Amino acid sequence: MNHNQQSNEVRHDDENALSDFLASLTDYTPTIPDELVEHYLAKSGFQCPDVRLTRLVAVAAQKFVSDIAIDALQHCKARQAAVVRDKKDKQQRDKRLIMSMEDLSKALQEYGVNVKHQEYFADNPSAGLESASRDE
Amino acid sequence: MSNEGIVDADEFEDSKVRVAADEFGRSIAKVAIGQICERIGFDSSNDSALEALADIAIRYVRDLGKTAKFYANVANRTECNVFDVIQSLEDLDSSTGFPGGSEAFTSLLQSSAMKEIIEYVEVVEEVPFAQPVPRFPIVRNRKLIPSFVQMGETPEFKHVPDWLPAFPDPHTYVYSPVWNERTSDPRSDKVELARQRRKAESSLLSLQKRLLSSGSAVTSTSEVSNGSKKSRFLAVTDGQTVNDSTEGEKAALEGDFNPVVLPGKRVKESSMENHVSILETFAPVIEALSGRVSESGENGERDFLDKRPAVRLNFNNGRKMMGDSLDLRLWNRGTGRISSWFGRDDVVDDKKRRAEYILRQSMENPLDLPQL
Repeated sequence: MNHNQQSNEVRHDDENALSDFLASLTDYTPTIPDELVEHYLAKSGFQCPDVRLTRLVAVAAQKFVSDIAIDALQHCKARQAAVVRDKKDKQQRDKRLIMSMEDLSKALQEYGVNVKHQEYFADNPSAGLESASRDE
Repeated sequence: MSNEGIVDADEFEDSKVRVAADEFGRSIAKVAIGQICERIGFDSSNDSALEALADIAIRYVRDLGKTAKFYANVANRTECNVFDVIQSLEDLDSSTGFPGGSEAFTSLLQSSAMKEIIEYVEVVEEVPFAQPVPRFPIVRNRKLIPSFVQMGETPEFKHVPDWLPAFPDPHTYVYSPVWNERTSDPRSDKVELARQRRKAESSLLSLQKRLLSSGSAVTSTSEVSNGSKKSRFLAVTDGQTVNDSTEGEKAALEGDFNPVVLPGKRVKESSMENHVSILETFAPVIEALSGRVSESGENGERDFLDKRPAVRLNFNNGRKMMGDSLDLRLWNRGTGRISSWFGRDDVVDDKKRRAEYILRQSMENPLDLPQL
């Protein structure tokens, strides 16, 4: 019984946390606009008049995209660090960070999404092979 | 060369016109993703990378919706729940893994996928979308065919219920013979035709007049041949041939035309000094025809500017206009051709004479072709 009571309390806490979170969602405005999310959810058959759920989906998508983008940023910085040898350290670091298709494809590889572009020209026998066999 | 340039522009515009059905949604997604990337720390992004990421985000949203709907349907519901959404989140995030994903039965309330999101919301600063977005897609109200009931009709057939769309009106499909109600009067038809032609000629001439007068001056003369009431035929007049020509005209005409007042108006033209023979030559013509516009009924105004005899050309159809009449090559080739300028076959001889006279005059005076 103690155990049950404990689990009940835990569940209560979780419920509260969740309901609090959903309540806070009404104030929070995700970067992805509500109308866009509603449009694509309606396209796939998701029916819910509650705006908090659409905000939840929007926030989830935003988190997903930011995770990918953070991974791509790290790849980009790593590439820049590899290029910079000794001199001009700071100047190189201040260079603009541009999200390129290469970094993005590397980041997306972990998520199981394949967006690799073909090599423009094959200049050595290992061109076009998986990156794991080439660097790292 | 220039054609290719034009073709390229057209192709470019064509490619702009062809857009996908949800192009609007995609562009909004691109902007939103761009904002997210900017907040994370990127300075800029390649266009292809941004488009790919936006596409992935849209797919993620759609997959979430699809999975949530699936879970709701499995639970005998049509509307989705928060638990459906949490389950679909766990489904989609399972590829990357989250703490507690390997456990078989976990309370959804304790779902760590959800907890990550909660944490994300609390940690990350709020960046709302840059611009207001309207609700889309916009649903247009279709205009439906009204039903029998709405039209207030009863269908003629018993098997047709009255809530169906109404039949079209019989006048849309029943053919009934048509008789020409108007009585045709060939004479008035000709009169009308002549009037319309005159109107066209006069408007063309007034345009020419404007062009010419803006060019250079005219010391124009417009002499009216008195009493000549036959409108459309122009005669070259020096003082003597006036009578001849009018007689000729009278003889030549067939049918009756409305009495027309010949040039009565004064030409307002700028007086620069120079000459242009063509202006001089044809200004009276312009006068003549412009005066004719303010026409039948006014028998009055005869303003005579003296100096030169009026030169009137025949403008049978407006196409053969000033340019043609100034084509001296025709004159050089032989005067026999000149009659072809003028449409009428029955006054060829008169016109030949007049045309030759005109051309001779224009030849003698310095020509200023570019002015035309």
